[in-house]
Amino acid sequence: MSTNTPTIQKEEQGTGPGTEPVDSPLRDNLRALLRHRSAMIGGGIILFFILIALIAPLLLPYGYNQIDPDARLQAPSGEHWFGTDDFGRDIFARVIYGARISLWVGFFAISGSIVVGSALGLIAGFYGGWRDTLISRLFDILLAFPAILLAIAIVAMLGPSLENAMYAIAIINVPTFGRLMRSRVLAVKQEDYVLAARAIGMKDRRILFSHILPNSWTPIMVQGTLGFATAVLEAAALGFIGMGAQPPEPEWGKMLSDSRAFIQSAPWTMVFPGLAIMLTVLGFNLLGDGLRDVFDPRMKQ
Amino acid sequence: MNMKKSLLIAVGFVLILSTVLAGCGGKSAGGQGKTLIYGRGADSPQLDPALVTDGESFRVTENVMETLVEYKKKSMEVKPGLAKDWEQSDDGKTWTFHLREGIQFHDGTPFNAEAVVFNFERWMNQEMKPSKKDDFTYYASMFGGFKGDEGHIIESVKAVDEYTVQFQLKESQGPFLQNLAMSPFAIASPKAVKADPAEFAQHPVGTGPFKFKSWKKGDSITIVKNEDYWQEGLPKLDRVIFESIPDNSARFTALQSGDIDVMDGLNPDDAKRVEKNENLQLLKRPPNNVGYLAFNTEKEPFDNKKVRQAINHAVNKKGLIKSFYAGLAEPAKNPIPPSMWGYNEKVEPYEYDLDKAKQLLKEAGYEDGFKATFYAMPEPRPYMPDGKKIAEYIQADLKKIGIEVEIVSPEWQTYLEDTEQGKHEMALLGWTGDNGDPDNFLYVLLDQDNARVPAQNIAFYKNEQLHDILIKAQRETEQSKRAELYKKAQHIIHEDAPWVPLVYSTPSLAAQSYVKGYQPHPKGSDSLAEVDIEK
Repeated sequence: MSTNTPTIQKEEQGTGPGTEPVDSPLRDNLRALLRHRSAMIGGGIILFFILIALIAPLLLPYGYNQIDPDARLQAPSGEHWFGTDDFGRDIFARVIYGARISLWVGFFAISGSIVVGSALGLIAGFYGGWRDTLISRLFDILLAFPAILLAIAIVAMLGPSLENAMYAIAIINVPTFGRLMRSRVLAVKQEDYVLAARAIGMKDRRILFSHILPNSWTPIMVQGTLGFATAVLEAAALGFIGMGAQPPEPEWGKMLSDSRAFIQSAPWTMVFPGLAIMLTVLGFNLLGDGLRDVFDPRMKQ
Repeated sequence: MNMKKSLLIAVGFVLILSTVLAGCGGKSAGGQGKTLIYGRGADSPQLDPALVTDGESFRVTENVMETLVEYKKKSMEVKPGLAKDWEQSDDGKTWTFHLREGIQFHDGTPFNAEAVVFNFERWMNQEMKPSKKDDFTYYASMFGGFKGDEGHIIESVKAVDEYTVQFQLKESQGPFLQNLAMSPFAIASPKAVKADPAEFAQHPVGTGPFKFKSWKKGDSITIVKNEDYWQEGLPKLDRVIFESIPDNSARFTALQSGDIDVMDGLNPDDAKRVEKNENLQLLKRPPNNVGYLAFNTEKEPFDNKKVRQAINHAVNKKGLIKSFYAGLAEPAKNPIPPSMWGYNEKVEPYEYDLDKAKQLLKEAGYEDGFKATFYAMPEPRPYMPDGKKIAEYIQADLKKIGIEVEIVSPEWQTYLEDTEQGKHEMALLGWTGDNGDPDNFLYVLLDQDNARVPAQNIAFYKNEQLHDILIKAQRETEQSKRAELYKKAQHIIHEDAPWVPLVYSTPSLAAQSYVKGYQPHPKGSDSLAEVDIEK
């Protein structure tokens, strides 16, 4: 990885029109990312899931809630690629619709925690003082609970539904992003260019948004990708114990829980939703690792 | 939804894991004599049978305490129990019971007429409740209330001599004898009850084949052989351990690996696997239950008969049976099971016909459908192995006729409370017969007397004409006349459609093949006195 970097720069200088002598670090990193094999595999898996989630209804001969008692628990075949469950519903259709649900929950939950967490982290890190104490202690409290227990407690209060599961996942992930942002801000705040900006009388808000935030967001992005994987798992866990998706939503975790009784007699009812969860999580983890390799200066030699 | 449920689930997880991991281990509870380990879905709430209404409690107390009369081994017919014979006066109001002599309670005190009188006095006096929370629920519903209540049917209970007890009734009661055989009316040792009524519910003392030994809450109950049991040669086992394993599949895994000897609540889909396995035997309980969908007829739009009939047409019972009962059930059309006398064969079931359902909805003015909440039980019951899935199945059909239902599934205790209070719009529930009398289904579940909060009639269905018929049938003592009345009642109920009667199921159990003499009883709990282990 790191040995490639100078080569790219050389190429860049050679082929560039020459009007831009300094290469953008972002483009540099992007190229590095494109050469990162496991990140690309991860990205490919995710792209694949996004794609099938988007065009799902066009592909499928069966609805995800099409019940047929005469076709129950059929093994995978040409007709039902992934077999059928105990309702006689097509598991392929359900897994694909499940991709929509999992990606949707992951995306909104993580976006929510990034926005809230980063905002709190920025305030805590930049202003310090009582604001920092208050926000940091809040994070400590949230982190004191095991994540999934806290999520269960939140859903128990709000009532079980997919939407509430999403809120719960968003809430439990807030401190991760908040702490990360705070520590970055604390470091960036000491940089010369921030001092310089202060010296010329720049307002706090401008310093925050044009200097500190742009220089703190990469770890958040990396963590966001990894967090996406956790969010998908957490949604599945909540679905599994009946506190996430409600019937007839074909959520992967719920599908697993619904087919527990058939693990011996009809294993395909569990294998395919299980594989779907595994692949999605793997995809996001690979991509997240790749992003970290590329963006984290400490990983470069 | 609350934390309790999640805790339960967490415990369930641990149990699944532990049973899977422990699969290769041998029997932990070795020791002397013949021990039977009985795997079941839940722990007993209390062990004073007079205070409870659930099968998990009776399953244990039935083996520790006995009733004056008992049901025969395979049917709901009555045979002598603690009373060896009895007479009824010509007007049907006076019953005289002659008790067996020389029987002792487990604490050594004698069983006699005084003890019987003490027990009945206790149940009919609300002051005798161990605490405010408790209630002699079954006594009130079977004998029309407590002492002083208008409908209370027992005028007095007297000890004529040491071994003769006389009941004086205010009105004759058709199912009186059947009622006395019910587990809640098992005779407790007066000494033990007087000593500490609250403690008694934790440590029952009776005359039964087994004595209570210990109780690990949420885990297991152990009962041991009563050496002085009055029936020669019984019980055959030395010890029975009732173990709670909430998840049906986990329990089945435990059976397959030999950790338990008998299990109830077999998933219907596992029945075939039991039959194929040489080391196991399948035990089928004679069907004596009904699983149903009740409408809350006090709430819109379910106060409209046409809406209720429409939904009756929209439920595919055959599909449900195929999917969730593995064929071990029959589609229901009446509130009482077909094995019971008085069952009305002539009632024409509502056929599964979505067009007809739509038509009826249109006539009712709900052409565009509506939304409703639908309670589905969170735990497997004998009449419904998986309530949530059954609800999901019905949900899909209702959607086709424009009705959007949201499935709600709080934990079991809350579920029962919510439905008793009428918080539901539609709810799944079921009933296993206690005493082999149609009154026990029709009056308890559908009469207006039971439509008051806390209601057993969770349809809150009120019909004066039906009420008159049911009361008349209660007072009548001749069975053929009663049967006619009940047939009429079923017609009225069918027409008004306060329920969708779903299925009559055959609950199945599984046991190791070395377990002998286990006869599942239609009432849902079994005497283990004649069960043996032959390895």
